[in-house]
Amino acid sequence: MASSANSNPVPKLYKSVIEDVINEVRELFLDEGVDEQVLLELKTLWENKLLQSKAVEGFHTEEQAALQAAQLQLQQQQQQQQQQQQQQQQQQQQQQQQHHHHQVQHVQQVQHVQHVTQAAHTQQVILPPQQQQAPQQQVIVQDPKILQHMSATGMSAAATAATLALPTGVTPYQQLITSQGQILQVVRAPNGAQYLIQQPQQQILLQQQMQPGGVQAPVIQQVLTPLQGGMPQQTGVIIQPQQIVLASNKVQGNTQVMQAAPMAQQPGQAAVQVQQVQGAAAPQAQPQQQAQAQPQAQPPMMLQVDGAGDTSSEEDEDEEEEYDEDEEEEKAREGGEDGQVEEEPLNSEDDVSDEEDQELFDTENVVVCQYDKIHRSKNKWKFHLKDGIMNLNGKDYVFSKAIGDAEW
Amino acid sequence: MAYQLYRNTTLGNSLQESLDELIQTQQITPQLALQVLLQFDKAINTALASRVRNRVNFRGSLNTYRFCDNVWTFVLNDVEFREVTDLVKVDKVKIVACDGKSESTQNKNDK
Repeated sequence: MASSANSNPVPKLYKSVIEDVINEVRELFLDEGVDEQVLLELKTLWENKLLQSKAVEGFHTEEQAALQAAQLQLQQQQQQQQQQQQQQQQQQQQQQQQHHHHQVQHVQQVQHVQHVTQAAHTQQVILPPQQQQAPQQQVIVQDPKILQHMSATGMSAAATAATLALPTGVTPYQQLITSQGQILQVVRAPNGAQYLIQQPQQQILLQQQMQPGGVQAPVIQQVLTPLQGGMPQQTGVIIQPQQIVLASNKVQGNTQVMQAAPMAQQPGQAAVQVQQVQGAAAPQAQPQQQAQAQPQAQPPMMLQVDGAGDTSSEEDEDEEEEYDEDEEEEKAREGGEDGQVEEEPLNSEDDVSDEEDQELFDTENVVVCQYDKIHRSKNKWKFHLKDGIMNLNGKDYVFSKAIGDAEW
Repeated sequence: MAYQLYRNTTLGNSLQESLDELIQTQQITPQLALQVLLQFDKAINTALASRVRNRVNFRGSLNTYRFCDNVWTFVLNDVEFREVTDLVKVDKVKIVACDGKSESTQNKNDK
């Protein structure tokens, strides 16, 4: 400890700031009625992001102090990551069956390690509160590769739900978040079949919408058949959003969020898309682009009309044409008068383009500080600065005083 | 109120991102997040003033300077930052400096 203290004061400083902030806001959190768990999550997120940024050397948290050696080993053995993920999956499954807190935390620690090494998107997995235990558990999982392995091991979503011993009368409502941020909803219909509903990424908020107590119709653009868990019933069944909303309302606060590989990655599973009410099922491997085109007459909540789904909806175009005919005529007239309706933004040739060239590199070296004195003589500037944090070439530095010279 | 200057640092940005994630999952309210950031401002200002004790020298060429609302903003080129231990060279650096004298409250500027 003595040697490290002399070399770099930044990690210790950051750690102390984090501790101070967390302790100070604990009271604020309690006043707002927010659980302590959220506070710990904030701290974890904060520390993880600092680690991810690699701006601080030798930064470690209390949890990871024991895992640093393991981190180094994992960094050197990146090829073994998948195997470790498989092991984690088994651990996760065991935990789901046993649901113990400390096991979750243990997995959480192990996953923290891989979280750092892989620098992949972390996603939260919230296990449903079991009937025996009330509080929710959080497990941080990695890539969608995990689900591929999970599927490979035979633990499909249906099987995992079965192992959770959920009552058959309840419709378990599961949400799967892919690495791309898409939300796949696994809904078990009363007839035992499971369906995956894919949603665009924008509706992350829908996780809360799915909780009971609110009659909300999520934007469900497609219904896909489930994984290869051997779901018997597939095509021909059309699920309307209202039904799914009802199904979600049946679940009493049990939202199970797991990771699923996007269906596009597993074309071999014979994923069949079931459109809502409108058309026949068109089996394809990539649901996204069609998803945007399908829900037209349905309640258009958070419809994505741009991008791939722009020109594919004929009905919308017909409806819009009725509205926009007059508007288009007006715009055409105005365009003719100005002559540059669409070209005005292009008159930016007068701008000095030096900034664009200089901003293209990765790190903007920034120093945030306070000034004691700024002095200038002719073109000779002298800077007397204090209490600053610097980020130079991606690394963080601090100073209590800084003195500088520059010529303008 | 302490300077909110340090929010745009690695430490501050990671805190803001974490808070944003919690807001998105509706685990905290935006108001609470703001309170956390205000607390962060106090903590980082105090920590820098009390727990850091090192000096840095630097030299370079001044590209631009700006003084507005009692905030200096400089852009320097080809700068060398020298500490006792090591030397860091950068092609371009932006320095943002708030007034170090009246840091206790920003209301002094209002008249």
